[in-house]
Amino acid sequence: MSRELPRIAEIWVYLSGSPLAALILTLLAWQAGSWLYERSGRHPLANPVAIATLLAAAAITVLDMPYARYFEGAQFVHFLLGTATVSLAVPIHKGLVGLRGRVLPMLAALLGGGVVSMLTAVGIATALGAEPLLVGGLYGKSVTAPIAMGVAERIGASPTLTAVYAVTTGILGAALGRFVLDAVGARAWWQRGFALGVAAHGIGTSRAFSVNAEAGTYASLAMGLHGVLGALVIPWAARLLI
Amino acid sequence: MIGGFTRLLLFQGLGEVLSKFLLPFVPGPVLGLLLLLGWLSLRREVQQDLEMVSAAFSRHLGLLFVPAAVGVVMFMPQLREHAFAMGVALVASVLATVGASALLLRLLAPAADRHEP
Repeated sequence: MSRELPRIAEIWVYLSGSPLAALILTLLAWQAGSWLYERSGRHPLANPVAIATLLAAAAITVLDMPYARYFEGAQFVHFLLGTATVSLAVPIHKGLVGLRGRVLPMLAALLGGGVVSMLTAVGIATALGAEPLLVGGLYGKSVTAPIAMGVAERIGASPTLTAVYAVTTGILGAALGRFVLDAVGARAWWQRGFALGVAAHGIGTSRAFSVNAEAGTYASLAMGLHGVLGALVIPWAARLLI
Repeated sequence: MIGGFTRLLLFQGLGEVLSKFLLPFVPGPVLGLLLLLGWLSLRREVQQDLEMVSAAFSRHLGLLFVPAAVGVVMFMPQLREHAFAMGVALVASVLATVGASALLLRLLAPAADRHEP
């Protein structure tokens, strides 16, 4: 009976030194985000990535855990981004079947959308006086986050800011996209899905899937193609604009 | 499931090697994606285990962004200072991008393909 129980603080010091704490925190935050998203009836504003990020960021701030230490644990999740990028080949492959006369308009929309995305974001932020550090992350914001972050590293921008902008862009596109689609009179599902995938990558794609299956397939095709195009073109465009 | 995952890692590894030694301007995973795409179009079908892993990744893709996105805590002071500029840029840009892409699709679509579903 004489054995003393370790104090809570000691347990915490031990746990927070291990990568396990950050890993558990990340997964719990994601579960909470997904749960809230489902509970809200998949409302675009209750985005699970945004909720999980806010929860995890709040938790490490309260726990006074430096980001570098958090990342030591969370890197095991982060590592899989590259693998997830490779797996995008599957929806692209499936989407490329049976396109008929849609290839030309799709390529035009991809190029046009990509250029508009980059120029408007970088142009507006610069014109409104945002500092270059923040603007650099905007180049890849319409590209799916795993690729955008790789591109950001290559052009000397912050992968973190790029991920934050990409997620924000995805949420905005998923929530507001349909108003613009109605305004420009795009009524066919394949067009609506593809445009949403170009502008709002994975989050737009999951939104498109929840509205219509054809829209979802075309959105994931657009997301994948924009990722490939972005990886090839953005480093070159950024060098031109900077 | 493990078979599909192994295949993805193999293609990722191939892409990384190619990026390191031959095409340094393209990220390794993107080259891996292109290689896998080429391989899939040669085989003309997607094996079931690859399909399963790919579906699992798309379902939980969001989780993988969280570790990097939490890094936003390090940029909070700057973001707060420029919140207006960044907010306007992000909102305006996504609206313009959806609009431009949709307009191009609508105008260039084959005539028989423009109807409402």
